Amino acid sequence: MKKTKTLPLFSTYDLDSRFYDELFNKNEEIRSIYKTLFEIFGKYSVNEFDRLNKQAKDSFFNLGITFQVYGEKEVKEQIFPFDLFPRIINNKEWCTIEKGVLQRSKALNLFLWDLYHDQKIIKQGIVPIDLIKSSINFLPQMIGLDPPGGIYNHISGTDLIKHSDGNYYVLEDNIRCPSGVSYVVGNRNAVKHALFGVFNQYNTHTVVDYGARLLETIESVKPNGVDAPVCVIITPGVYNSAYYEHSFLAKQMGVVLVEGRDLFVENGFVYMRTIYGPEKVDVIYRRVDDLFIDPLVFKKDSLLGVPGLFSVYQKGNVTLVNAPGTGVADDKAVYTYMPEIIKYYLDEEPILSNVHTYHCSRKDELKYVIENIDKLVIKPVDESGGYGISIGNKLTKEEIEKVKKTILAEPRKYIAQPIMSLSTHPTYIDENESFESRHVDLRTFTLLGKDVDFVLKGGLTRVALKKGNLVVNSSQGGGSKDTWVLKK
Amino acid sequence: MLARVANNLFWMGRYIERSEHLARFLSVNYFSSLDAPDELSQSRQFVLRSVMYMSANEIIDADITLEEEAVLFNVGLNQEKPYSILSTFINAHENARSSRDLISTELFECINRINHTIKAYPIEQFVKSGLYDFTTIVTQSTSEARSKIKSTLLHDEVYAIIMLGVNLERAIQVSRIINSKMSDVAASKELNGDSTEGSYQWSTLLKCVSTYDMMRRYYKKTPSRETTLEFIILNEKCPRSIKNCLSQIYKYICIISKNKEIANDSAAFLIGKMKAEFEYKLISDINDNLEEFIADLIEKLVLIAVKLEDNYFNITDTVAVAKEEEKAEVKVEEKKDTKKETQNQTQ
Repeated sequence: MKKTKTLPLFSTYDLDSRFYDELFNKNEEIRSIYKTLFEIFGKYSVNEFDRLNKQAKDSFFNLGITFQVYGEKEVKEQIFPFDLFPRIINNKEWCTIEKGVLQRSKALNLFLWDLYHDQKIIKQGIVPIDLIKSSINFLPQMIGLDPPGGIYNHISGTDLIKHSDGNYYVLEDNIRCPSGVSYVVGNRNAVKHALFGVFNQYNTHTVVDYGARLLETIESVKPNGVDAPVCVIITPGVYNSAYYEHSFLAKQMGVVLVEGRDLFVENGFVYMRTIYGPEKVDVIYRRVDDLFIDPLVFKKDSLLGVPGLFSVYQKGNVTLVNAPGTGVADDKAVYTYMPEIIKYYLDEEPILSNVHTYHCSRKDELKYVIENIDKLVIKPVDESGGYGISIGNKLTKEEIEKVKKTILAEPRKYIAQPIMSLSTHPTYIDENESFESRHVDLRTFTLLGKDVDFVLKGGLTRVALKKGNLVVNSSQGGGSKDTWVLKK
Repeated sequence: MLARVANNLFWMGRYIERSEHLARFLSVNYFSSLDAPDELSQSRQFVLRSVMYMSANEIIDADITLEEEAVLFNVGLNQEKPYSILSTFINAHENARSSRDLISTELFECINRINHTIKAYPIEQFVKSGLYDFTTIVTQSTSEARSKIKSTLLHDEVYAIIMLGVNLERAIQVSRIINSKMSDVAASKELNGDSTEGSYQWSTLLKCVSTYDMMRRYYKKTPSRETTLEFIILNEKCPRSIKNCLSQIYKYICIISKNKEIANDSAAFLIGKMKAEFEYKLISDINDNLEEFIADLIEKLVLIAVKLEDNYFNITDTVAVAKEEEKAEVKVEEKKDTKKETQNQTQ
């Protein structure tokens, strides 16, 4: 490992040749896109930067951009760790990403339509029936149902990484209730306040238009016969870790934020209880999981949902965003068929690459996985939030044996991928008063509506704060960064 | 506006206002007693009892000796006590949080910041030397919150609901403070005879509702029982008088009820009636049976809150009424359960 101690703030910056570092090239020279930014950071003394960093963190705390941590007795409020050094994506790279994620979202949407209608892709043997049959996220209630505008995944979050070869790969698609977009805007504001001078040097796309575009998207899929739709966001409530985001989006769109208990169903329509009595609701952006939205149809003991909601949806009198049952397509096992799915529906080559994936449900591949666990990342197919992931080269011998047993017990539940080298990016480490390289990924946000689509020019760069860690999820101690997409 | 959220906003207004009154009452009583003219008023026990009566609505038995630090901790920073300033403001914050999409970022940030400050205030420092500092922070911050309410919100029903809460709470707290001071006066009278009928307790009362300076300006003489009570109950120009609060409450209920036909048993009717009664009330009308008057006043104000809840916050649809009743029985449990359920719903 080489040391790069050119500036006080970078005194402990390590470069590891196994990974693509976004700031330095292989010759330890600053990549040209970061040159200006690096010079500006170079002017700060450690104390000065420490102060800016603290101020930025305080602003998140004061604004209540926080999540709750539940202890034995007390509920603690914490900010989602945030790093001031922005990630920059040049225009050319971004164009590929934007086209690529839009292509995937569109293909997934067509795939969902097909799955819940004729299942041609299965009949033609391109995707095996087992994949759908055994998926807990396939909702038979959705079969034959036509969502307004033909849209299932109105909002998609696509997770990308930059591999050591310098190319972007898609890690996974999130098309149930992807979260994180509020932090994109929050991070941008914090960076603007702390480093306002920098923005004169870079021509960066804005991210504040997300709320307006989201509203446009969900209004475009209003039920038939409605002129000016009443849109709402449904949240599980203030105790949900993403509650800040729900309230933020409601405010950005100027729509009402409701909980299940605020809504009721009568005569085939959904109403909310206002101080002047019932008011009809037309579009619901739901941030409540599928199985909780209607206790009459799904989980019977759900207190978060609205009894009868699904029947109104079936009648076409209310639109749910995203549609129920999308989870079947962001399953990690389906992921591996994405190149075929894109080809089948769009007749295009995938613009973004998939990470090679081994299906434990296939005998030969299972054999390879069991024999090579130390070189692989093992993931359960239907979990989110980074839960249940095992990274082979971090496991002890006993742990490897344990993982083997778990996989063999239920092969369908697991996939394996080569350990990908997530790129590294300078991240300020408080204890060392210096920037160090940490692994990052990128979550993009794509909107699909009736005849409208939009990719947020920016995204959430998530960073694994623990040295060497590859899991960036916030539930696993990850933080985030502002992401700049350059106009030129 | 959602009925549930209206309820939250109403209570946010009430809790913000309540925090301020609790803090000011504590500070004024404590500090003015340090050099009070008579022995009783200087007595720690007497002051602590008065504080407990006002904050916790508790009458402490004569044979119990109160610990100063314990009382201060309980009314100030004890989160286990629902009446403490800390608990009161946490409630304000919780209510603001659940209606966060409707209020301005500036207002939420302000309430959030106050919440952090109050929560982080060192207990040891508070009970030993920080009483003045802490209560000043609370009164200043709450008035900042009120200013954000006034200057950053749309003056529509959302605003009207919050201000209704603020003014109703103000009327209730001022009535309770009058009530509490009258009982102090009675106690002191019993001990010292009529000689203490003087201005000390009345000045303290005026300071407790921060109207002392303006009262002096208005009457240009030392406060007496009659002028003090006239000023804080019946003077419409005084922003904390009961009469002024009622006018405000009336103004905001009109925005909310939108000139719809008013039923005889509605909150709007009750408020209008009370306001009309106050219009032509003189201090001589109430001076002789003041205790009764204040008790009746508090009762009516509380009734208004109950009616508001019936009229605006508990809106149920025809179908769901029966179900709601069923649900009500399990409501306590529900909160816990949803808490668990809600935590994991994120991708």
